[in-house]
Amino acid sequence: MLRVEKLQLRLHGKPILEEVSFDLPRGKTLCIVGESGSGKSSLLRAVNGLMPATFDSLTFRPKNGRPISLKEYWKGRAGLPGSRWVMQDPLSALNPKLALGVSIGESVFAQKLKSLELKAAISAALADVELPAEMAKRRPAQVSMGQAQRACLARALIARPDLVFFDEPLSALDAIVQKQIAATMRRIQTRFDMTFVIVTHDLGFAAAYADQMLVLRGGKVEANQSAEMFFQAPESDYCRELIAAARELGGLPETVVQVSGSKAAIPC
Amino acid sequence: MTVQADVGFLEAPDAQRSKQELDLKRFLVQLGLSLLIFLVAVAACFLLSPYAPNEPNFLERLSPPSASHWLGTDQLGRDVAARLLYGGVWSIGLAFLVTIVGAIAGTAIGLAAGHFGRAADVTLMRVTDSFFAFPELIAAVTIAGVLGPSTTNMVLALILVGWMKFARLVRSLSVDLAHRDFVVQARLNGLPSYRILWRHILPNIAPSLLVLWTNAWSRTILSISGLSFLGFGVQSPNAEWGAMLLDGKAYMQTAPHLMIFPGLAILIAVLSINLTGDRLRDLLGSNGAAAG
Repeated sequence: MLRVEKLQLRLHGKPILEEVSFDLPRGKTLCIVGESGSGKSSLLRAVNGLMPATFDSLTFRPKNGRPISLKEYWKGRAGLPGSRWVMQDPLSALNPKLALGVSIGESVFAQKLKSLELKAAISAALADVELPAEMAKRRPAQVSMGQAQRACLARALIARPDLVFFDEPLSALDAIVQKQIAATMRRIQTRFDMTFVIVTHDLGFAAAYADQMLVLRGGKVEANQSAEMFFQAPESDYCRELIAAARELGGLPETVVQVSGSKAAIPC
Repeated sequence: MTVQADVGFLEAPDAQRSKQELDLKRFLVQLGLSLLIFLVAVAACFLLSPYAPNEPNFLERLSPPSASHWLGTDQLGRDVAARLLYGGVWSIGLAFLVTIVGAIAGTAIGLAAGHFGRAADVTLMRVTDSFFAFPELIAAVTIAGVLGPSTTNMVLALILVGWMKFARLVRSLSVDLAHRDFVVQARLNGLPSYRILWRHILPNIAPSLLVLWTNAWSRTILSISGLSFLGFGVQSPNAEWGAMLLDGKAYMQTAPHLMIFPGLAILIAVLSINLTGDRLRDLLGSNGAAAG
């Protein structure tokens, strides 16, 4: 559904991303992995038209629709039609002055729902991410990080997106909350048949979650493989090193059992 | 403020934030109550004062403060207390009007500069800079002088020289905010510009705007009094604190109360608005201007 060919990004004359290509089929999860500064987040921004990248082709095919030329689409707006973002730090991704319900409701602003319908939709979205309905009235400062991140999930979910981008969605949270929210992510992905693009630096998470892996290093692609292949036979020495390091630290099991396709509960 | 920020590490951020919010709420309640009491007192004075501000009484010219004229009378025998009351409406009220109009205009220009791309930004900020190039009071004197001395012209002049600070502040804050995640989210979610500006940018710069506005308000009181004292502003026989100073200047030696009371009134008004603004700045400081 999202196909990127030879994407290049230069900022102030410095190359940030060089010849990045990937092809993401519908319903799958792509994990983008790499150290900080490797261009993971820049790639997300470039693919959403927030950064002026050049590319051979960038096609996006929404559900029940024809592929769109994004160059045209990005005149005067950003993002991909029918996609949503979940960012790293939920507290800065939510307007501190707005109640969570308002922030969530704004995600479907374009649908011009009547206030009762909107209220129902917000409650439903909160229920989908396992938050009580009264959370809608709280402001970001009045909830925990985990709850705030769930609210961000609800904000993405309420729009019933085809494609959701996650920019290190779990790294601001502690381990228990990480595990719970990862499970919620998997559940809503299966339930609403969504495609995920997840930027992470946690190989253990990627091993359990990804269908496809894209490893970046210094703006270049080190590996672009199915997750199964990646953890058995990585494409490059750097990836072997990466996997070995993660094993040593204990964040990654010796043998990775891929649950690709079946979307079973996430083994955390 | 630095002390408070250091202690912040010891407290949970939520606890600290709510304590600050509580302080702010308490202060706003106090402010509201004292304003209410003040306004009731002023209204009572208006209703109960036996003298009209422009009513001469040639039998009691230049009389010092007494039981019947608490603050004395001026060279035409008009009651100084009554004139101070009505003069306050000019000084404080006009300054209020001028700064509100300036704040709205400046905010609109700053938001437009910060939000509608580079061309708008460059154009609007160069215009702002060129207005900034003229010293405030001198420009106001020139404009009021060219247009002719009258209250309307003074108000126009003060609005013309007063909006740029707001434009610059709003522009710089909204440019900062435009890169914050929640504004990027709003853009990605396809919210229209007016909604982003109204719901995401404005509420987060409002605290800083409020502080700047109180500052501008008290300065404008000084400007209005100054211009009127120079003869460019409110014209006699209307009472305005600066104009009263001008009227009283000739009798400074024999009837100092003509200068002392309007001067005190200006001092108290400017000081109380300034102190309120400072307190607001302190209370809004760490989650107002900086953190949005």
